[in-house]
Amino acid sequence: MILDVIGRSLRQPSRLIPVEALMENSEGSRMPDVQPERLTVDIASRVAAVCPTGALATEDHNGRNCLRLSYGHCIGCGRCVEAGEGALIPATRFRWTGVAKDQLVRRWDPSSRVEIKAETPQPDAIRRQVQKLLGRALNIRQLDAGSCNGCEAEIVALTNPYYDLERFGIHFVASPKHADMLLVTGPVTRNMAEAVRATYEAVPAPKLVVAVGACGCSGGLFAGSHAVVGAVDAVIPVDRYIPGCPPAPAMILSGILEVLGQRSLR
Amino acid sequence: MNENTQAVQRPYEGEKNEAPFSVPRLTDGAPARLVTLFGRLGPQGQRRVRYVFDVGAPEYFVAEIPADGPIASIVPQAPAAAWFERELHDQFGIEIHGHPDLRPLVFHDNWPDDVHALVDDVKDVPWAHRDYPFLEVQGEGITEVAVGPVHAGIIEPGHFRFSVVGDAVLHLELRHFYTHKGTEKLFQGRPADAGAMLAESVSGDNCFAHAVAFCQAVENACGASAPARAAALRLIGLELERLVCHIGDFGGLCTDVGFIVGAALATRIKEDLLQASTRCCGRRYWRGVAAPGGLRFDWDSVAVKRLAQSAEAAVREFKDLAHVVLETPSIQNRFEGAGILQKTVAQDLAVVGVVARASGVDLDVRRDHPSGHYATVQTKVRVLHYGDVMARARIRVEEVNVSASLIQETAAALPSGPVRAPVQFTGNVCGASAVESPRGELYYWIEGRENRLTRCHIKSPSFQNWPAMPLAVAENMIADFPLINKSFNLSYSGCDR
Repeated sequence: MILDVIGRSLRQPSRLIPVEALMENSEGSRMPDVQPERLTVDIASRVAAVCPTGALATEDHNGRNCLRLSYGHCIGCGRCVEAGEGALIPATRFRWTGVAKDQLVRRWDPSSRVEIKAETPQPDAIRRQVQKLLGRALNIRQLDAGSCNGCEAEIVALTNPYYDLERFGIHFVASPKHADMLLVTGPVTRNMAEAVRATYEAVPAPKLVVAVGACGCSGGLFAGSHAVVGAVDAVIPVDRYIPGCPPAPAMILSGILEVLGQRSLR
Repeated sequence: MNENTQAVQRPYEGEKNEAPFSVPRLTDGAPARLVTLFGRLGPQGQRRVRYVFDVGAPEYFVAEIPADGPIASIVPQAPAAAWFERELHDQFGIEIHGHPDLRPLVFHDNWPDDVHALVDDVKDVPWAHRDYPFLEVQGEGITEVAVGPVHAGIIEPGHFRFSVVGDAVLHLELRHFYTHKGTEKLFQGRPADAGAMLAESVSGDNCFAHAVAFCQAVENACGASAPARAAALRLIGLELERLVCHIGDFGGLCTDVGFIVGAALATRIKEDLLQASTRCCGRRYWRGVAAPGGLRFDWDSVAVKRLAQSAEAAVREFKDLAHVVLETPSIQNRFEGAGILQKTVAQDLAVVGVVARASGVDLDVRRDHPSGHYATVQTKVRVLHYGDVMARARIRVEEVNVSASLIQETAAALPSGPVRAPVQFTGNVCGASAVESPRGELYYWIEGRENRLTRCHIKSPSFQNWPAMPLAVAENMIADFPLINKSFNLSYSGCDR
């Protein structure tokens, strides 16, 4: 019987998705993107009105009336794509994962039909320190601060034979005391706030904290609930953000590698 | 699953509030199965309690009693009501007489005793400190082992307090609701369309079952129904979700006994299904698909057929794998006799889903209370009697077969036509719906006025099954706990909401 199992295992072709195909891939996550050449002032206000979480809004930015898209708030409901007359489309390439909070926000000027680009920030000190210390090895402790388990399902998928997180030297560990990175999902509930703080304290320095999912980034649909304290950064310091509701496994993996600055590595 | 709206209006006709509500009986004299009980507010803010029972008919039995004064607990007649009444006590501040354990359930030490979230203003509730006594098992050689809320894997948070003698578990006490997000309250004031979104975030891996149950409740409340094509596509989505869940659980069981080959293959087959789903409708899990009145968009029948073919291929591989795994002596050694849930306990606690069917309780919403496209198909329900981890594993394997053939059958004869019907959400309405989610019977009850929800109650199968899990763990080795827990596969977020 055991030989049968081994034989079966050996007959399986490799399913591993090459790293090039995973990077910037957001298939299945329903994150929107903007086609600036099709954007009008009218469409901008219409998509802002249908957005249920305020991810899309029109605002004044340095004297220009612009459309603001905050991926940290987006749950990928697709209402903007329906109302956007082709100006909003489901993203096929997605770079806004594993980034700092202000990088989750994009702005377009609908009258001149261009994206208002933000400056590219420099990698910060903790990231450099962790990278220097650990090279390519990284121990992650996943922490559920109150999520719906949608993000957990996609994080677990990273360990399957398609994504195989371990090929990058990245492991999920059982104790925060063994971890270099906390991967935190969910809005922080009132009942979990104390445990989230204690878990953060238990991770040895230097430590990285990455908030995952719309709830982790912004509180998502649960922002403002009496039972929820807020996004992860309302309770502990957060270094980087992976948006999505839930983010597809490729987005989570891209995000983790982005945090480590390893995108170009094989 | 149209709820009889006449029943909604019918109050329970006891002489006084304190008169115990009597649990309806089946024809053989056995008490009916408790589906749910929950609080709601009348038009003048009067507190009321609504009881829902399964009396063996397609329609659920519904009754309502006023609860401004104290009410009598039904726990002595229906032990399954224990957590429901604790929740009622917490959320509505209803005084309940004769309940054996009214410790706070929903909020922990941080919540003030006098704030009841579903009746009071909950803006800026102060942080409090109150005690929560755990049951203490005393005697020579008894040790307490406290686990959680943060566990050692990629799992949701919850607290388990074991009292053990050596390796044997004498008693296990659960403390949950760490992921309580006040979801039922968040529904209030939202339009029905936005409610579906929230329902999808109650339990992420069963998002489509939650969305469909919610949408059907709205449709029932408004006298609408989803067009035939939408109902058929909903069935495909629900069965696909069951495949993903059951195959993933089977892999989880392999992981928990260190059978890595089986685990890796099962997670791979699960991922095949999720990728097939992405190719068909752009989603791995079916979020943002269901809407009150049907579906938010249509997709072509060719894509659906291709999805059905992928599902068939995945299931063929899974059956092969499951056969090998379950015939492996070391697996049999671990699965058989572990975590037995007796049928009497399962009935007393009114457990549902795979757990119930593995303990000899013959129920399945798809067959017993069919709604949508399920009314037009035959659902085979398998029941086993051992009640152990092996029985729960085998039920999952059997159900994967049933789901695969339901998908095939439905995709082969997919009705044409629109996928969305208008829903007139006007006046005062209320309605209910039940769906057999991968974890069991999921029941939604909604109430609303002029396209605004005023109350939404969610009875998730996990809420009903969690209290039974400690009874299956008792007398087992503590090292078998992860395996037994996995075999129940309950959602923390679905329970805590």
